[in-house]
Amino acid sequence: MKRVVSTAALAAVVGLIAAAAAIGAGRAGPVKLTVWVGWSAGKELVTFKQVASEYDKAHSDVTIDVVGGITDQKITAAIRAGNPPDVVSSFNSYDVGIYCGTGAWLDLAPFLKKSNISTSIFPKATMYYTQYGGKRCALPLLADTYGLYYNKTLFAKAHITHPPRTISELTADAKKLTQRNPDGSLKVVGLDPFIGFYENVPERWAQSYGAKYIDSKGHAILGDQAAWQKMMQWQKSLIDWYGYKNLVKFQAGLGDEFSASNGFETGKLAMNMDGEWRVAFIANEAAKLQYGTAPLPVDDAQPKLYGSGYINGTIIGLPKGGHNVDQAWAFVDYLTTNTHALAELANGLKNVPSTTASASSKELVPDAHFATFLKIFNNTYSSTSPIMASGQSYTNLVQTFWQNFQAKGSKNLGGDLKKLDSQLDAQVKQAGGSSGGGVP
Amino acid sequence: MSAVAQTPIVRRRLPRAVRRRRFLLAVANHSFLIAAAIAFLAPFVFILLTALMTNEQALSSRFWPHPFAWHNFVDVFHDAPLGRWTLNTLQYSVLATLGLLLSSVPVAYALARLHFRGRNALFMVVLVALMLPPQVSVVPLYVMWAKLHLVGTLWPVIIPNWFGDAFSIFLLRQFFLTIPEEYLDAARVDGLGELRVLTTVVVRLAKPAIAAVALFSFLYTFNDFFLPLLYTGESSHHWVLQIGLSQFRSLHQVQWNLTMAATLLVMAPVIVIFFLAQKAFVEGVTLTGVKG
Amino acid sequence: MWRRRRFVLLLLSPWLVGFSVFFGYPIVMAVYLSLNHYDLLSPPRWVGLANYRYLFTIDPQVGTAVKNTLWLVAVLVPAQVLFALGIALMLARAKSGAGVFRTIFYLPALAPPVAATLGFVYILNPATGPVNVVLGHLGISGPLWFQDPSWAKPSLVILGLWGVGNTMVIFLAAVLDVPKHLYESAEIDGANWWQRLRWVTLPSISPVILFALVLGVIQALQYFTQAYVAANIASGQASQAADVTAASLGYPQDSTLFYPVLLYQHGFSDYQMGYASALSVVLLVVSFAVTMVIVVNSRRWVHQAAGTR
Repeated sequence: MKRVVSTAALAAVVGLIAAAAAIGAGRAGPVKLTVWVGWSAGKELVTFKQVASEYDKAHSDVTIDVVGGITDQKITAAIRAGNPPDVVSSFNSYDVGIYCGTGAWLDLAPFLKKSNISTSIFPKATMYYTQYGGKRCALPLLADTYGLYYNKTLFAKAHITHPPRTISELTADAKKLTQRNPDGSLKVVGLDPFIGFYENVPERWAQSYGAKYIDSKGHAILGDQAAWQKMMQWQKSLIDWYGYKNLVKFQAGLGDEFSASNGFETGKLAMNMDGEWRVAFIANEAAKLQYGTAPLPVDDAQPKLYGSGYINGTIIGLPKGGHNVDQAWAFVDYLTTNTHALAELANGLKNVPSTTASASSKELVPDAHFATFLKIFNNTYSSTSPIMASGQSYTNLVQTFWQNFQAKGSKNLGGDLKKLDSQLDAQVKQAGGSSGGGVP
Repeated sequence: MSAVAQTPIVRRRLPRAVRRRRFLLAVANHSFLIAAAIAFLAPFVFILLTALMTNEQALSSRFWPHPFAWHNFVDVFHDAPLGRWTLNTLQYSVLATLGLLLSSVPVAYALARLHFRGRNALFMVVLVALMLPPQVSVVPLYVMWAKLHLVGTLWPVIIPNWFGDAFSIFLLRQFFLTIPEEYLDAARVDGLGELRVLTTVVVRLAKPAIAAVALFSFLYTFNDFFLPLLYTGESSHHWVLQIGLSQFRSLHQVQWNLTMAATLLVMAPVIVIFFLAQKAFVEGVTLTGVKG
Repeated sequence: MWRRRRFVLLLLSPWLVGFSVFFGYPIVMAVYLSLNHYDLLSPPRWVGLANYRYLFTIDPQVGTAVKNTLWLVAVLVPAQVLFALGIALMLARAKSGAGVFRTIFYLPALAPPVAATLGFVYILNPATGPVNVVLGHLGISGPLWFQDPSWAKPSLVILGLWGVGNTMVIFLAAVLDVPKHLYESAEIDGANWWQRLRWVTLPSISPVILFALVLGVIQALQYFTQAYVAANIASGQASQAADVTAASLGYPQDSTLFYPVLLYQHGFSDYQMGYASALSVVLLVVSFAVTMVIVVNSRRWVHQAAGTR
């Protein structure tokens, strides 16, 4: 009886849906391509929309609808739920292991072959984070790299002549640049390395210490390297110098990272680790700021790392279940390989162009602040974080671990890191992946 | 109120000391209440003041807006599709409430007034359904709606209401139990069929309870967050007010002043409705004491 | 007789359908899915008890989530009941202005949870929030509230106490319903304020208190909205490049990672539907046990609660 009733109910529901779906079908004319991108702040979305509308005007068979402010979670949800857009793009590659591994994003190999595109036109670093286990399901759409921003006015006041190159110089400068209010609270912070604050996540600092996540088999090895402990102890000692509570309070009083009240732009952060796009934000929001850019300082014991940085980038691809696959691919092809399009985006967003041809395009507007990041991007030691089957959860687990450590410290950091390793491995296994996507 | 309590009691004049102590106690009691009332109102006041501040001021430690940024309440509408969110919320509220009343009244009536085998067991099932967290069924339901291609719309949160809601059934049943049998019998003697008895006599008598159920349903749907988040989180066209508000700050990089203006705007409808229907509200809550 | 049965069935049919489709079916399905690896993209793959093994022996967050949820049951629920009772008792004694006070205390209960949480995260902002600014003027260095793992849950309690109006109104009605003659005879016996409360008021309203506690426990098991919003907003400094929502769940340091939040994270952020189903089956077992205890004893309190007018 129950089964009959529930079947009847399901049939009724299905009928309703069929009726609803029928209303949406049967349109003619140009195909509407829905394109999801992460950009939302300031001029960024406007810049992307300009490039998209140029394409739109030149191609009568499509009209392009750009939706900004998209996160990985939204992308994943839409694909699982079976109603994805035509083109998807994410700010970062953390979830590529999931996208490629599960087939959520289509394998691009047949498309690349059809359009006769060789992957050699893309920089090598970007090729790692757009595939998983040999399956390429994404292409780079501009790249990001990270460095040190420093406030020249504050540097002059503190009689510091050049940006720090080693962690010990960085620490000394940070302390010199810090100013406190009479009640002991922080007024200006030299450098805030607090994990979770603005762009501070473990993988970006790990670059400065040459700290690695996985071995060649894909097993977590954080506990096996001295670098992780050394880095975390340094970070914790600097935080303790400010006072953990002071620092958290100071951060709570700063404006949103992607608004004109950004702490570096308002002069409350003398130095800050940030991505190359900040150059464009400062130009728009705080044009008067006297600042410089430099590679991130590195471990005193490993000077050869100086000049390198963490690399990641916006990725773009085709979701499983998208409707107008051919038109969508044509647009993706244009965005990721057309020199003019990439140069225009790179100029507007101040992102690193992601083909070799566009990197030397005459259309690129030269900018001294930005040139630093192009150099970091091309440094041989620059690298990215591993692509894992558990996606973002992998780096999140490390981040939570570090956040606990920066708050409470640890009597046995090495042992705790070893425990973390086994949790990371178990997580990857649970997510259904046997190993990672190779070493970055 | 029992009859005993209403019997007038002859009071003799109390000794001075006792009266004095009582007076002091009353003063203390009132001071406490006033202090608590200020504490309860303070958050509203701070939210309002911040909503009237400029960007920079909201990040300072000053309390009083200077100058008053009234235009924040206009800017909010530019920054966020509040109109769209409101329409979606209304769609959810109205469709869910109507369906819930139409489907729950008959069930509650059957459970309260009709005799059949398994009635008590069925009522127990209603109680269990009422108490289990929605999280226990949400994963398979999500899978089901995803297969039906309805994730990304509000239908997965609306449709279940058309098939009876445990809370409403419970509440209506409690009320139907209090209707004297003679009223129903009188209607039956007049030759009305069982269905007519329900649709005319019972529904008319239960108007206050039905109003309370409708009110609670409106409140519940207006405030609902978890299920709309699951099903419409990624499709901003279908966001209800609560989802929009929760994403407001991170989505538009706007500052606290505008966020608080939006917060105030989202609080306003409920508070207005409360003052319009205050009596029904408090009585409804007292009657059920279950949710609101 | 047949007509009558058909009539009953007609009246019950919406609920029978609804119960089967939206309740019975998902619960059976949850048990099945919990024994599979399922990501909604490829068909479920049978893994036996692997999800449960991961849940009970490996996942470092399960223990945290259970502890946090138990904390709600042990602290938030009693705090709300005591606070509501205190206010109700004071209101019952008030000779003038009781109506105004009652409205003021009830009002916050109406504020939508999302809006109320947003407001409190601002008010309790460690640097610029009014509370810490006032404390600062008094020479006190205020806590970090939602930014501090040991203060985040207490901050949620403050938010919970603010919205305690529903319980307060129910208690007030019950207190006012206590027969006056009981107080009078107690007074004649020379009972003081505390003794009258202890021996007259509390015994008379104990079913309502029990009811409020039970309800509180049920709500604690599904506590989600406030935790989600508070963590999301308080961690607002998190990077745009990282996925803000996923990284912020439980912020700070998993101190607001309650069981439903964990379930949401695995089910609807990571889309591990099999594992999330295992989490929901465990929740089902626990809440069903709690529910059965309540339903078995329901005769006592359901009757009382419905009759508190």
